[in-house]
Amino acid sequence: MPKKKYSFKLKSNLSELDKLCEQLEKFGQVLGLSKKCIFEINLALDELFTNIISYGFADDDEHVIEVTLTPQNETLCLCIEDDGVPFNPVAAKEPDLECTVEDCKIGGLGIHLIRNLMDEICYERCGDKNVLTLKKNISATEKG
Amino acid sequence: MEIIEEKQDMISIFKLNGRLDSNTSQGFEKKIFDAISVGSKNMIIDFNELDYISSAGLRVILKATKALNREEGKIMLCSMQDYVKEVFEIAGFDSFLPIVATMDDALKAF
Repeated sequence: MPKKKYSFKLKSNLSELDKLCEQLEKFGQVLGLSKKCIFEINLALDELFTNIISYGFADDDEHVIEVTLTPQNETLCLCIEDDGVPFNPVAAKEPDLECTVEDCKIGGLGIHLIRNLMDEICYERCGDKNVLTLKKNISATEKG
Repeated sequence: MEIIEEKQDMISIFKLNGRLDSNTSQGFEKKIFDAISVGSKNMIIDFNELDYISSAGLRVILKATKALNREEGKIMLCSMQDYVKEVFEIAGFDSFLPIVATMDDALKAF
């Protein structure tokens, strides 16, 4: 497996989700990741990216969101950085999953999905940046 | 994402093709609610050609389900790929949404 880290930049627009998908598929193929694994990584980064675009910026200027993928032996480290307002999604409340359809709320669902699909999630505020780091064990899902 | 809309008996069928995310969910929401506003009460969403769904897609399905419940209508979801179905399961949506294996199973429910 290549140990090199791979990084790309996305503009602060939801249409960049297509670019996120393309980049992850390219990276996943090089690493020989299963379709399921690429799907899960895509979903986790999509939820974070969508959150950043929806709530992260107080102005209408174009911002850059940087994604870095680093394979470390059996673990894949995913990092997403933005220069938006300080926001720690890890502190978000868990949604109530026992609810009926009428009571069911969608808030907090994105972070709930991430917690279930990833093995570790860590937030840091570094200077004027939000830095979210995810870790996923890829030993079992590789070459699927 | 491509959405093909068909009508069979009194059932509106939406066939999704591509990726349902925060960039495409608004278009899907509009199509569903346009159908509800002209009287559609029974719906089938066909996931056979859908490669991807995020919480933005789940949100539209939830909203449509609530609206159809108020109209005393019904929604059925069919033909999901395993990892798309897993997203519904992790979200806990499989407890109140009828997800069936094939289009035939969905049609039989009406």
